[in-house]
Amino acid sequence: MTSTQTTIPTQAPGGAPGIDTGDPDLRPAYGLIAEFESPGEVLKAAEEVRKAGYRWWDCCTPFPVHGLDGAMGIKPTILPIMVFFAGMTGTIAAFILQAFTNASSLSIWALVWVTGYPYLISGKPMISMPAFIPVMFEVTILFSALTTVFGMFTMNGLPRLHHPLFNSDRFRKVTDDRFFVVIEARDPKYFRSRTEAFLESLGATAVEEVRDDDMTEEMD
Amino acid sequence: MSSSHASKPDLSDSNVRLGTAGEKIQQAAAIVGICGLLASAVIGFTGMFGTTHDFFVKSWLQNYMFVLSISLGALFFVFIQFLARAGWSATVRRVAELLAGNLQWAWLGLVPLVVLWLSGGSHDAAASHAFDAPDMAQVSYSSEPAATLGAGGGGGDGHGDGHGGGHGHGHAGWGPGIVFPWADMEAMKSHNPAEYDLVSGKVAYLNSTFFWIRNLIYVVFWAFAGRWYLKRSTAQDESGEVGLTSTMQKWSGPMAIGFGLTITFAAFDWIMSLSPGWFSTMFGVYFFCGCCTTGFSMIILATQRLQSFGRLQGLVNAEHYQDLGKLLFAFGMIFWAYIGFSQYMLIWYANIPEETGWFLARQIGGWGTISFLLLFGHFVIPFVAIISKWVKRMRWALMVAAIWMLAFAWLDLFWLVMPVIPMDIMTAETYMEVVEAHVNDTTGITNPLNFTMLAGVGGLYIWMTMRRFRNHRLLAIRDPRLSESLAFENQ
Repeated sequence: MTSTQTTIPTQAPGGAPGIDTGDPDLRPAYGLIAEFESPGEVLKAAEEVRKAGYRWWDCCTPFPVHGLDGAMGIKPTILPIMVFFAGMTGTIAAFILQAFTNASSLSIWALVWVTGYPYLISGKPMISMPAFIPVMFEVTILFSALTTVFGMFTMNGLPRLHHPLFNSDRFRKVTDDRFFVVIEARDPKYFRSRTEAFLESLGATAVEEVRDDDMTEEMD
Repeated sequence: MSSSHASKPDLSDSNVRLGTAGEKIQQAAAIVGICGLLASAVIGFTGMFGTTHDFFVKSWLQNYMFVLSISLGALFFVFIQFLARAGWSATVRRVAELLAGNLQWAWLGLVPLVVLWLSGGSHDAAASHAFDAPDMAQVSYSSEPAATLGAGGGGGDGHGDGHGGGHGHGHAGWGPGIVFPWADMEAMKSHNPAEYDLVSGKVAYLNSTFFWIRNLIYVVFWAFAGRWYLKRSTAQDESGEVGLTSTMQKWSGPMAIGFGLTITFAAFDWIMSLSPGWFSTMFGVYFFCGCCTTGFSMIILATQRLQSFGRLQGLVNAEHYQDLGKLLFAFGMIFWAYIGFSQYMLIWYANIPEETGWFLARQIGGWGTISFLLLFGHFVIPFVAIISKWVKRMRWALMVAAIWMLAFAWLDLFWLVMPVIPMDIMTAETYMEVVEAHVNDTTGITNPLNFTMLAGVGGLYIWMTMRRFRNHRLLAIRDPRLSESLAFENQ
């Protein structure tokens, strides 16, 4: 998530700055991917990885696997709560907007001075809730929908144009018929050899290290 | 995938048949039902608690519509599952099919109305006496009251209505005219010419002959539809024939059309025509929302109760309850409020006298309180209460919501059926004058008749339902989508 697309791996482990940028070994490790052949296997593996105490890891599957959230121990998202309060904000904001502009003569400073203009429509009261409700409803929906989409984007770290996992040719089968467990190098419990052995012990058909930049294409 | 579905589902009779378990409830319901009806009859015919004849008949109508709406909502649930080829619902669909099967007896609710029609065809003098005819003689629809009302009524929340309620409290006689004013046009002409002017243009539709032809179509269609699905679904229990599911899918489209038309016109005929001068094209949809509220609530409640009897164990889980909760949330709360508000706002904004009177009658006196109770009880409170996924997955919480919604759906029907458009709104100068004149009007909600009638009609409905539950399997055990439903998870 924190990777940057640099062509000069200045933070390569063990490498001095300014060293030959073409050496793939000097790219920082993103993490290890373990390939599985069925949803059942990846579910079991996810349980084990969670029990082993890893924190920076993920599962990648071609389709939603039921029960994976539970196996991974993913906490419920707070997005619904954000949406609820955004919706409430929309309701109240729309009411204030209408009451201020149509039913008051107040002046407030909002970048420029804005003055309300009490407007009598067909003998209705100034503050006519039935007339306000459609706008309140629409603004509630608008705020909720925007919060849902952009809240989801923000919390998922989207949009991003590239991900280190795309460096792996093996990983491409994740959109077809393979299931992956990914443990990132930044995890405190990550040790290259030990983690690799651990993933192999879970029954992975292959374990592979992924590097954290996109120089592969240029080198070929 | 998760471990809870790993074990093989228990489809044995001890899990999917009620057997003798519901016998006591069935008997108790029958006793409560008969006692309730007897008590109602005593109250209604003796006029105890100030019960008028029209209140008595309307109370029957309201409570009949209440139990009818449960079965209609269940029927909607059944065919919509086939229409959408839904997989998740296979474990709970039979409960809905059994509830919809009760529609076979929908015609019973019309029997008292037949009796009412036979009881007094004459333009009984008693009815005319109940009104202050001289007052009403001044009223003429064509002398538009909006001019006077508009000048004084800055509040504008509902002007006077073009038609006074020709069917006020205090009828001494019998006859269809006491609740359906259009059924006695002569009486209406003599004591409420304004309403007569409006309604006389509708007699091609609102006349007794056509009314009973339509009623016949409704009850026959509903009985047929309810039976049709239950019969095929239970036949599949024995044969396991997948073709039956295809047949039910194929005919779900025409069923939906027939259902939509019949409940729309039934709502027009049985509720809207109680105030025949008034009209709202949305009214059928509003009643449909009521059907969904009660139907989905009852499916939740019945499934929950069956599970507490030790049936359907391991077959219906939190996933199914969550989806039932979603449906109740969507149709019973949001859609109901949406339609109810849309109907109100159009009439409020246009402010045309012959339309606003209907809402005015529901704002004065105690009716205003009930209107607000409905707004908060049918929408705001349950909306906030079950908006969360976690609440919908808690069985007890969803059950409380279902009971709550049934109670408010009943109140909603009370609010629809009972109010009478006041006679004096034509002579009032302002909106507030009408409000103040009726500030002490009672709604009759505390009349014990409401509760005896609910016990009577509801008791018989539960008796009928328990009988059906005990005679059939509680699960479509050979539904081709059963395994999909058992493995279903909301993600």
